Amino acid sequence: MRVEYKVPGGKLVAADSSVEAGFIKNVKISGDFFMYPETNIIDLEEAITGIRIEDLESTILNFFDFHPTQLIGVGPSDFIHVVKLSLTSSPSLQGF
Amino acid sequence: MNETWRLIDMRIEDAYTQMAIDEAIAYARKRGETSNTIRLYRWKPSAVSVGYFQSIENEVDVDECRLQGVDLIRRITGGGAVFHDYDGEITYSLVAPDSDPKIPTDIIESYRIICGCIICGLKELGVNSEFKPVNDIIVDGKKISGNAQTRRYGVVLQHGTVLVDCDARKIFSLLKVSGVKISDKAIKSAEERLTNVRKYLSRAVSFEEARTALIKGFEEGLDIRLKPGKLTPYEESLVKEYRKRYKSSEWIFQR
Repeated sequence: MRVEYKVPGGKLVAADSSVEAGFIKNVKISGDFFMYPETNIIDLEEAITGIRIEDLESTILNFFDFHPTQLIGVGPSDFIHVVKLSLTSSPSLQGF
Repeated sequence: MNETWRLIDMRIEDAYTQMAIDEAIAYARKRGETSNTIRLYRWKPSAVSVGYFQSIENEVDVDECRLQGVDLIRRITGGGAVFHDYDGEITYSLVAPDSDPKIPTDIIESYRIICGCIICGLKELGVNSEFKPVNDIIVDGKKISGNAQTRRYGVVLQHGTVLVDCDARKIFSLLKVSGVKISDKAIKSAEERLTNVRKYLSRAVSFEEARTALIKGFEEGLDIRLKPGKLTPYEESLVKEYRKRYKSSEWIFQR
């Protein structure tokens, strides 16, 4: 489900996602932050889609290691945080 | 002798054409087919633009926009949602190579320099404003100008809004203000976050007066001379092509 997170001193970042049998699906990230190049957001969403929940953090960190990206108002750890929040708010994970 | 940049002065177009023009100039500049450019413009009909990464349904009351005849567009630049009120706002844009010595490589510093031109122009009108990193210009803690920049094709494109007048009620009837977003700011009401030139000066300020001041602001802030010009035929052809993308629902509702 969609969750918003205001980065302290930074911008708003939101994530929407769902979980199927432990795999992350339908990831959409949004917000009023800045990312250069902008199209890396699409590659980031693709990188997260289909991975296991426990691989989320390493996948996002790896992504920014291999895709030179300039971020303003948000950092890799904020993406990890907000996607995690969105996963744990997903109905299929409630009760775990 | 200071250098000369092109000025495209107060062209009035709809949202799709305006955003297509900014991108066309950036692309033509990359190709070396046009010169460094400052544009001042107004949006007719009034429009809401959202940042490249924003979720339009969560930021904008889409039905209310349709009801009020307000166009909707997604920018190629990041940042937040803006209401471009034909009766209350001037937009500017700047295009130059990212290697231009006048534009710092550091993105925040480049915002500071370009926003400095707007601050200079506002001062000319009697408004004392300041830069608030990352991308805002404020007066007494209230926003008077929002700015957004992209770097692509080896070119810097920054555009931003200068509030000459504003109907805060109308703005907040069109935009959805997230409770999370303002949670770390000690502000009671979203309407208290904005100001504008006419409100600050308590007098009627014409678009002509504001435009003249902004031109002076860019000339002084960048130490350049602005020479009025037009889009080249090549740029106009790109505008036609890009306009279709900006107007498509696939682009606008992609996120």
